[in-house]
Amino acid sequence: MTDAELIEKLKADLGDRVEIANPAPRRLFLKVAPRVLVDVTTRLRDAYGLVFLSTISGLDNGATFEIIYHFSTPGQDFNIRTEVPKDAPRVPSITPVIPGAILYEREIQEMFGIVVDGIPDGRRLMLSDDWPEGQFPLRKDWRHARPQEVIPGGES
Amino acid sequence: MSFEIPIGPQHPALKEPISLRMTVEGEVITGADIRLGYNHRGVEKVAEEKNWTQNIYLAERICGICSHSHATCFVQGVEKLMELQPPKRGLYIRYLVSELERVHSHLLWLGVAGHEAGFDSFFMYTWRDREIVMDLLEMITGNRVHYAINAIGGVRRDLDEGQKAKVLEGVATLRKRSVYYFRIGATEPSFVARIAGVGMLSLEQAVALCACGPTARASGWARDVRKEDPYAVYDELDFAVCTADTCDVLGRVVVRVKELLESYNMIEQMIRNLPGGDIACKAPRKAKPGEVVSRYEAPRGENIHYIKANGTDKPERLKVRAPTLGNYPATVEMLRNGFIADIPLIFAAIDPCICCAERTVTLIGARSGEESVVRMSDLRRRALARPENALLKRNAVWPF
Amino acid sequence: MLNKLARWSRIKSPWILHLNSGACNACDIEIVAALTPRFDVERFGILLKATPRHADVIIASGPVTRQIRERIIRIYEQTPDPKFVIAVGACAMSGCVYRGSYNIMGGLDQVIPVNMYVPGCPARPDAIVDGVVKLLGKL
Repeated sequence: MTDAELIEKLKADLGDRVEIANPAPRRLFLKVAPRVLVDVTTRLRDAYGLVFLSTISGLDNGATFEIIYHFSTPGQDFNIRTEVPKDAPRVPSITPVIPGAILYEREIQEMFGIVVDGIPDGRRLMLSDDWPEGQFPLRKDWRHARPQEVIPGGES
Repeated sequence: MSFEIPIGPQHPALKEPISLRMTVEGEVITGADIRLGYNHRGVEKVAEEKNWTQNIYLAERICGICSHSHATCFVQGVEKLMELQPPKRGLYIRYLVSELERVHSHLLWLGVAGHEAGFDSFFMYTWRDREIVMDLLEMITGNRVHYAINAIGGVRRDLDEGQKAKVLEGVATLRKRSVYYFRIGATEPSFVARIAGVGMLSLEQAVALCACGPTARASGWARDVRKEDPYAVYDELDFAVCTADTCDVLGRVVVRVKELLESYNMIEQMIRNLPGGDIACKAPRKAKPGEVVSRYEAPRGENIHYIKANGTDKPERLKVRAPTLGNYPATVEMLRNGFIADIPLIFAAIDPCICCAERTVTLIGARSGEESVVRMSDLRRRALARPENALLKRNAVWPF
Repeated sequence: MLNKLARWSRIKSPWILHLNSGACNACDIEIVAALTPRFDVERFGILLKATPRHADVIIASGPVTRQIRERIIRIYEQTPDPKFVIAVGACAMSGCVYRGSYNIMGGLDQVIPVNMYVPGCPARPDAIVDGVVKLLGKL
């Protein structure tokens, strides 16, 4: 199925729940609202064979967070994006639909401070045990203060 | 009575020193849990502070074994953002290095698989042959591991006639030796019996848990980015996607062996059809605002980079997903119902980038709370001494 | 007399612990490659050990990540005296490209004392062998 045919089919199927963009061959960007995310994902999985989730990217756009779910099928690459406000960042978990999403959801949770509702396992994944609470390194306004380094044996 | 065994984080030879926590019932694993972060270097944040060219070298240092994969995946995306069309010759040389890297990575992995199964001469043989590829890579690029051959818009170094002849000669030697060793493997029943039926991952589980690369292909799921999303030169090459349907470590060995032979073919095709012309075109310093999803089939599976540009000479966001991360949920599933003695083998089978040369495992007795340290070599020894009680072992055949 | 014997055997056959302190794996495969037939460090009596309690020399690669720092100190303390540390690769020396990242301590010498630095990104196996031999020469 070519990209154009697929877009027509998706538009007919999902209606105004999605906005579809096709910036490059074999790349589709679908924009959905967070509340229909799980419905759309379930529908796409069952009807279009979107079973393979490559990863979930988080983006800090200033006032909002954007979350992109990168799926792929043998023909196309589906990127489902959704946007949440920064003062109340909550998205539903898609792990019940795609079990392989668990690690990526844990990752955006700790890196951006986005709360994933209904995540089966919300523990820390990447950051160290002594990492302070409430610090999210991939947010744009987060800055790292580099500790003073010591030169062993002193300066020569 | 169930015990809990923490494994790691001191995995001296792993890409990601990872902490696995196993719940065991006697010898059988009933649950596994993963804690990452021992190797988290914050690459995605660092990338936002470096310019496009500097980021090639940063992307290369995400992983030391598939270094070219990450650099290529990044460069591929940036070229799309900058709307560059690199010259054909440059692309051929770039993907020639990719395939040579795949050969080096799979040979490395085969050696590790042999080592973990207790077949150390196999390890030494494959690593000796790996040096042939390393020499070829050093000759083409100038370095053994971080090749740094990619530039935005092409490659940095050209290939001359003498080098082409040497690559062909090296590949011919490798093919001959590979086939010979695999025949040795075929007549070595204890090796086949050790790896057959270990670390089962059914097709349904592989699909549900989004396994990728040889792990997914060994469960019969024919996914390969080179075939389904052919980037750059791959639609001009003739190759097949290799799969196996045994769903175990044996299948993963078979898939990698077949891929090695396919890679030798691809290298020969690329050398024979190497077009003339330039190797690189000039790249602008800045990229227009935009976003791109770049996919690449690394030796371990699908690499995906999401790059967003904001019009400056630095990326707004670089998101990297390495295949090993995608395979962790599947690994947890494979470990379940396995034996303690199979942990090194199963964990090595997803190819978590390198040989688990020697690791330290701490066994904590649930009753006494005492810790005793067991070396990976001891575990391996136990593995070898394990009675032949597993299923599927007796009738296992080497498929070559 | 016993000291002399211990010193002699340490020089003739140093046992090595390979420690990944958050490296990108490139130095690690080069360390393993040094064990394989092309370079074969075992002919010098150098033997790779699994536990710090048996090791004389710690070969560490990688910038120290925040999570692994405590573990490195523990491993260093578990190694019996006299112990020597070799930092392999640019990361273990200064942090290399990751320098300035939030999760990097910036070089092995920020955490434990280092006796020898082997430069390179990654260091070649022959450079690593040379580093060990030079260290033995200083004993």
